[in-house]
Amino acid sequence: MVKVAYYPGCALKDRSSHLDASARDAAERLGFQLDELESWTCCGAVPPVSRERVMNLVASSRILKNTRDSGRDLLVTICDFCYNTLKRTNHRIRKDEITRRRINTYLAQEKPERDYIEETASPWTDYAGEVRVMHLMEYLRDVTGYDEMRKRLSRPLEGLKLAPYYGCVMLRPENEIGLDDPEDPSIIEGFIEALGARVVNYPYRTECCGSYLSVSDPDVSTRLSYKILSSAAGKGADAVILSCPLCFHNLDSRQEAISRVFPGFKPIPVFYFTQLLSLAMGGDRDRQGFSRHHVDVSGVVDSIFAEKERQ
Amino acid sequence: MSKTSLPPPENLPMRLTRDTVSEGFKKRVAELSGQNPDSCYQCGNCSSGCPLACEMNILPSRMMRLVQLGQEETVLESGTIWICASCFQCTVRCPRGIDIQSVMDALRQIALDLGTDHFGPDQVTPEQAATVPQPGLVSLYRKLST
Repeated sequence: MVKVAYYPGCALKDRSSHLDASARDAAERLGFQLDELESWTCCGAVPPVSRERVMNLVASSRILKNTRDSGRDLLVTICDFCYNTLKRTNHRIRKDEITRRRINTYLAQEKPERDYIEETASPWTDYAGEVRVMHLMEYLRDVTGYDEMRKRLSRPLEGLKLAPYYGCVMLRPENEIGLDDPEDPSIIEGFIEALGARVVNYPYRTECCGSYLSVSDPDVSTRLSYKILSSAAGKGADAVILSCPLCFHNLDSRQEAISRVFPGFKPIPVFYFTQLLSLAMGGDRDRQGFSRHHVDVSGVVDSIFAEKERQ
Repeated sequence: MSKTSLPPPENLPMRLTRDTVSEGFKKRVAELSGQNPDSCYQCGNCSSGCPLACEMNILPSRMMRLVQLGQEETVLESGTIWICASCFQCTVRCPRGIDIQSVMDALRQIALDLGTDHFGPDQVTPEQAATVPQPGLVSLYRKLST
């Protein structure tokens, strides 16, 4: 089985571990293994704004350098924040020589001791952005291929109407990310169709859910999440599908607060893309961590299984 | 959160004198953000696209104008810099190619460098600390505290 270097990131390793499990399961059903890096740290979640604060890029650079040093040139992640941070770090290292030199100066200082002792140790080489950072969704689109996914479906999500939600950091800033059109993306739409489900168009798919404001200004995040969810539901979506653990948290767990502030709001299930991928590829419903969702998803999941039985 | 707003209309036009314009401020913003605030021609695209605009006391396009005019105090005391969620919508839509989100980041950094955290770990409730995924907490600390 093909092994793909995999960076889970903090959230997927801890409080969103059920999403990590579904991703691993789905990947194996598609014929590749998400091979977790031997050692890794937090990527830092957001790159610093200025060149002066190069310190904030060291953690993400170290992750990338270790990936290269382990002989791999591709790193896959499934968290939008990690994807954004790793990809932008790489971009800066590639484009800005001063940043590259300064980061490597830091990294060289923490060269493990054994490298000096072992004769076989390879000589130091500056990290210059050799690793390619990919989102799992991007890997599925560009390496596995949506057509191939379609062929491997064992439980097509026929009849299911899904609203794609992109959020912010998966697409923007587009000159550094370059995954898709930041205003009119299609990668999640392609993914939904590859699973056999139907895409629901609605105007808020690239609007921010409030991100970290859900901690500092929860009411603001509640209002933003309401706009997104009610718009998707209003266009007839059975569920929302997304790819960021923070968006997942905001759009799923905020629904209780939304119902209090906006009477008449009807809760709508939220899925991580890996959960639906795993189910469509024949995965077990008990291994997706659905019990950890705030909004009950059993209606939608039941319909996926019922659809399969009817066929 | 501070609720400083623009001078009331009766005080406009603004008095721009050596005492009220901080020339060094615009330079510092440009240095940190790597953007030229003078590129902004006030089309308002950032403000109309901003999902948080209705929560802001000063709109993003007005913030740009205030930076051009060296209005350091008004800018750094506005709630706008703390309510911006860094979603890059403004950056994507700016016809002048200004990375406005980075300008906001620079403004936050200047405000934080003055020594006061806007939001620290002690303000996170135990429930939030136990449930919010790490990217939310880490990005919050990085954006809103030193």
